[in-house]
Amino acid sequence: MGYRVGVDIGGTFADFCAFDEASGRIETVKVLSTPATPGQEVIDGLGALHERFGIAPSDITYFTHGTTVGINSIIMRKGIRLCLFATENFTDVLELARLKMPDPYDLLSSRPEPLVTRDRVIGIAERMLADGTVDVPLSRESLAEGVARARALGAEGIVISFLHSYRNPAHEAEAAELIAELAPELHVFCSHRIRPIIREYERSSTAVIHGYVQPRVSDYIGALKGALGGIGVGPEPMITKSNGGVMSAELGRTACVEMLLSGTAAGVMGAAFVARAAGEANVLSLDIGGTSADVAVIEGGAPGFGAAEMVGDFPIFVPTVSVTSIGEGGGSIARIDAAGLLAVGPESAGSTPGPAAYGRGGTEPTITDAFVALGLVDLGALGYGMVSIDRGAAEAAIAPLAAALGRSLAETAEGIIGIAVSGMFREVSKLASRRGIDLAEFTLLAFGGGGPMMACFLARELGMKRVLVPRTPGVLSALGGLTADIRNDFTATAYYELGPETLPALRESVAALSARARHWMEQEQGHAGAALLTASAEMRYKGQSFEIEVELAAEALAAGDIATLRGAFDAEHLRLYGHADETAPIQVIAVNMVVSAASPRPVLPRAEPAPHEAAPAGHLPVHLDGAACEVPLYRREALTPGARFAGPCVVAQDDTTTVVPAGFAGTVDAHGNMLLTQGGADAH
Amino acid sequence: MRIDPLKLRILENHAQAVAESMAYTLFRTAHSTFVKETEDFTTGLATPSGMTFASPRDLGATWFIGLDYSGAINMIDDYEEGDICVTNDPYSGFVCTHTPDLHIWKPIFWEGEIVAFAVGHIHNTDMGGAVPASLSRANTEVHQEGVRFRPTKLVSRGVLNRQLIDTMMLNVRMPEQNWGDLKAQIAAVNTGERKVHEMIAKFGVETVRAGIEDLLDIGEARARDVISRLADGRYHFVDYLDEDGPGGVPVRLELTLTIAGDEAVMDFTGSDPQLNSSLNMPTGGNPRHILLMVGYNYCLYTLDPTIPLNGGILRAARCVVPEGSVLNPAAPAAVGMRSLTTGRLQGVIMGAFQAAAPDRLPAGPAGGGGIVNVKSFDNRTGRLTMASIDPVTGGAGGSAKGDGTDGSGANSSFLKNTPVEINETEAPVKFLRYGLVPDSGGPGTFRGGLATELEVRVFSPDTVVTARNRDRSIFAAWGVQGGMAGQTSHFTRFPAGGGREDLGNTDVVHLGPGDVINLTSGGGAGWGSPLARDPHAVARDVARHKVSPEAAERDYGVVLTDGAVDIPATEALRAARAGEAPHSGLNASRIAFEAVWTDANYAALSAVLARVPVHWRPFVKRSVFDAVAAMPAEARRGDGSDVEAALAGAIAKLPQLAPYFAEAAE
Repeated sequence: MGYRVGVDIGGTFADFCAFDEASGRIETVKVLSTPATPGQEVIDGLGALHERFGIAPSDITYFTHGTTVGINSIIMRKGIRLCLFATENFTDVLELARLKMPDPYDLLSSRPEPLVTRDRVIGIAERMLADGTVDVPLSRESLAEGVARARALGAEGIVISFLHSYRNPAHEAEAAELIAELAPELHVFCSHRIRPIIREYERSSTAVIHGYVQPRVSDYIGALKGALGGIGVGPEPMITKSNGGVMSAELGRTACVEMLLSGTAAGVMGAAFVARAAGEANVLSLDIGGTSADVAVIEGGAPGFGAAEMVGDFPIFVPTVSVTSIGEGGGSIARIDAAGLLAVGPESAGSTPGPAAYGRGGTEPTITDAFVALGLVDLGALGYGMVSIDRGAAEAAIAPLAAALGRSLAETAEGIIGIAVSGMFREVSKLASRRGIDLAEFTLLAFGGGGPMMACFLARELGMKRVLVPRTPGVLSALGGLTADIRNDFTATAYYELGPETLPALRESVAALSARARHWMEQEQGHAGAALLTASAEMRYKGQSFEIEVELAAEALAAGDIATLRGAFDAEHLRLYGHADETAPIQVIAVNMVVSAASPRPVLPRAEPAPHEAAPAGHLPVHLDGAACEVPLYRREALTPGARFAGPCVVAQDDTTTVVPAGFAGTVDAHGNMLLTQGGADAH
Repeated sequence: MRIDPLKLRILENHAQAVAESMAYTLFRTAHSTFVKETEDFTTGLATPSGMTFASPRDLGATWFIGLDYSGAINMIDDYEEGDICVTNDPYSGFVCTHTPDLHIWKPIFWEGEIVAFAVGHIHNTDMGGAVPASLSRANTEVHQEGVRFRPTKLVSRGVLNRQLIDTMMLNVRMPEQNWGDLKAQIAAVNTGERKVHEMIAKFGVETVRAGIEDLLDIGEARARDVISRLADGRYHFVDYLDEDGPGGVPVRLELTLTIAGDEAVMDFTGSDPQLNSSLNMPTGGNPRHILLMVGYNYCLYTLDPTIPLNGGILRAARCVVPEGSVLNPAAPAAVGMRSLTTGRLQGVIMGAFQAAAPDRLPAGPAGGGGIVNVKSFDNRTGRLTMASIDPVTGGAGGSAKGDGTDGSGANSSFLKNTPVEINETEAPVKFLRYGLVPDSGGPGTFRGGLATELEVRVFSPDTVVTARNRDRSIFAAWGVQGGMAGQTSHFTRFPAGGGREDLGNTDVVHLGPGDVINLTSGGGAGWGSPLARDPHAVARDVARHKVSPEAAERDYGVVLTDGAVDIPATEALRAARAGEAPHSGLNASRIAFEAVWTDANYAALSAVLARVPVHWRPFVKRSVFDAVAAMPAEARRGDGSDVEAALAGAIAKLPQLAPYFAEAAE
């Protein structure tokens, strides 16, 4: 028996979650992030776990870690110097992107400069056709010239992305071999190996981002592995991925495009884990930190996936847990706008200097300051004692706004919260319409430092009746890493009509992807246990330009039961878009395979709820819903299963504060989750 | 302000949430790929009198901020709860602007009174008429542009008007798509109604009513604030469409912008008479018609991106549009391709506002490449394939804030391309080239954005390529502050047997197996003298193959040695050229055209055309143009007398014309 430890690194804090395999207890720690020396916070946090809870590095049996080195390299543009080899006469793939500008109303709107500028995009004489036949063979002379130019330009690596390589990768592979001979010192990346999808911009962008960060990430992981080994952590670390899974750190050194968005994904996986344990099937997760506010839809206990996410300024096309940004988080700054009205964001005080109330140099009034000024944040320690709250500073930051508006400080602070919540309402409403879901059937699961603070206000605005606050809302991403499966995705472009004549090709794709997936799990990942293979197809009605991913039922595929295969697509189209056309031809654009294997999953401790009225630890003078009042203050650790309480009240704990307005009733479930129900008694 | 200012922003977020939820509902449930690909649709909320006050920000078309539904709304006598109305007639109320756009509005009642309308439109792929997709430059009457519906109740107290649907379905080429998209529109306005009811439940009906007016007032106040920071004055600007129809003569678009305090007046007097092609813009003379205001919205938003995008911002401006002109045609003039004219008019408005804010707005945007469709046979299957290939867009103009974006931007920022890999898989074509064109951006202190070119080979006989909105092969994007014009656009056919054929502004071309076409857009224009451009920026452009070393020396006066700026040589060259007159910003064709067609000649032509009835105007215009063209160059005086001489010749040949000018002779 030992400890399983999950680590998530954010902008301000690195979160640690240690699960005691013997008792089922979860211990948590936060330390400050050390962006200047990535990895130091990991060692710091493990030291804190040892010091505070006696968890020695040698006690650790399983270790998961989400790293932000990759995404930071992109945002700060500190990746390696790359050249892109593209098909001759098609070298503007990154410059043109998909043409559309970020803000089409602005005549001066512009695209960000590509990571590989035009002087470093080199056309290579070769041409593959759409059906995979060779039109112009790869020219060795052209390639050699390209390598010479790349060297002259000081390139550290070359990304190769040729037209139609998803269909026939021979030219990319041949070019990679030749470059390895001609310039063995250069890193080489082939677009078809990173993600062999049709659509040249999407594939090239993904490959460029991968190549840009890969050496940085690999160096980081290598150093981290050394440091962990040095302090006595035994097992191979696992790295969290954007797809909500994990892989071994060693694989992470070459598969870094798969981990760029792992932080938000792990949070959603943590939320899904808590929701399943709490028996909540349909959940909207709400993750509010100092610099971001994100939501994700979890239906039937599972998050959704997408394949077109932004990393900094650029899109990548790898399977990613769908997360929607709804704001800039607790650090969003309030101001008077040009119309003389109070406005919140988009500028953010971020984690540095952060809200005025944190006393870390911030002077601008933020959302967090509004909560502090209203007395809604317990003035005790937050962030495990690393941040002390200064109400006076919060009030001083808001006072100029109040003066300019001619309103009281409390009215102004409530105005800030109301405007911030309505902005989030707007974004969540869009998401619900885009997905065609009825939020009244969902529970809002709040986490992150700011989620529980704002959740009830947002739920009220959205007409959601139930809010769930997990036991450890501040470290849910770290917990999410611990609950994640080993998981990987494979894809092959198909692009044919679904029918009896294409069935052999479809079966062949599934078989080939299955073999690759098994090989990855068993040989590369080194996982000996059972693995689950799930095949799906990205399909569309002929003439459409967007695809829907639908699972391919193995029996139907084996039996050649086309009607079942297309029926699944029709049904999904109907579910998503409200209509289906059972007679239209269906195109299969790509075949996908997910391989997953369960990691040793924590089992949360359970205590039979003993119904009782919770006892407040004290009372807070606050301003809430337009009136000054005294409200009970509860300590989260004292709220044991079965505890009952009612809003208005405040619940304080080490990593966050939950604000419960009037109209919400609270109970604590068997796992220690707080369930806040609008409109009276608990619906359970 | 009518309501608590602390509440107004919250109300605004809720109103925006309604408009955006409507948009996502429509987008999610629409049937046609056209809607999903082009996002040529809108949703929104309008006041009880019809002014839109909430429109989605990140989904849908960008042209309809502040669309006024009152013209259509008022054509229905009474509204009851559960009604939904539609129209697609460009001449009934001047809400719809061409027949494929089906506009919809639903009254939202509260306690028996209308609080707002849920509104929107979808561009249908086809509405019937003479040609597939209903749009052709060659159409001469709106009757050729498909079946039309005056403002009519599609749903009356919740009951669907079957007859109307049946009539539409009978007359269009892809009825299932139209019906599927119409259902999505109905779902969108129903969503809007439900969510406005939720808003009323939250805020109270009086707060919602008053808050809507506050939002429009704030839009107006913010727009007036932006305008008041421009220098008072009259700003004159002219640009042209290359042709008024296939093989035709130029179309003049003229604007006198008057900025006085916090108001703007846009007088389009001097613009051409209505055309015998479908390039007319149906505005009904509405002084704030949305097609006249798109460029204004873009300019104000660019001057201050924090202004609210609602109908209030339109109140700070009004337009003057002469009847019977290309900007205010009389029925039944065809209007299907008004997008080409509207796009150029946006540029004219940008030009006038640019003169008022030279350091804050860009030089002329490129354009003219066309939106390319291919109809061809797949030789392997024998099947006919129709595919939309790409918009061939060009760069934005340079501005004091930096170079124009390459390849697209400014008022074509909303367009998306299709991947080469998808095009080659879907259509029997092979791309030979797709990318930026070096040296195509107008030189300037800040360079114009580069053009794009697209070169494609086809493989089957009877292949037809259409390139809607082709233009700018004669008149290029205009430079400002001494910046130079962008390059013109080109459309070229390379027949399989060899040779080349310049297709000019042709927008339909028939091809045989092995033929290659090249479409090259125009380039954006430059801002400021190219001789003042940072030589290192020129060197960077040369390194990135955006500017050739020859052009660096010729246009920018920058001498490069091994890619690096030769500073002494550059300084010497620039010093030697310092005395040159500043560039006019116009290209050679434009200068040559205006040497003949001077402002005075145009003024004379306008006076002549004003005297003849609308149905004579295109004919008289063409007669005068032909006669002026036939004059010996040395006989032209450019003072208006050329037009008078041409008119006299026409009257001599056509006595029917004489009565219109009888008084003038006295």
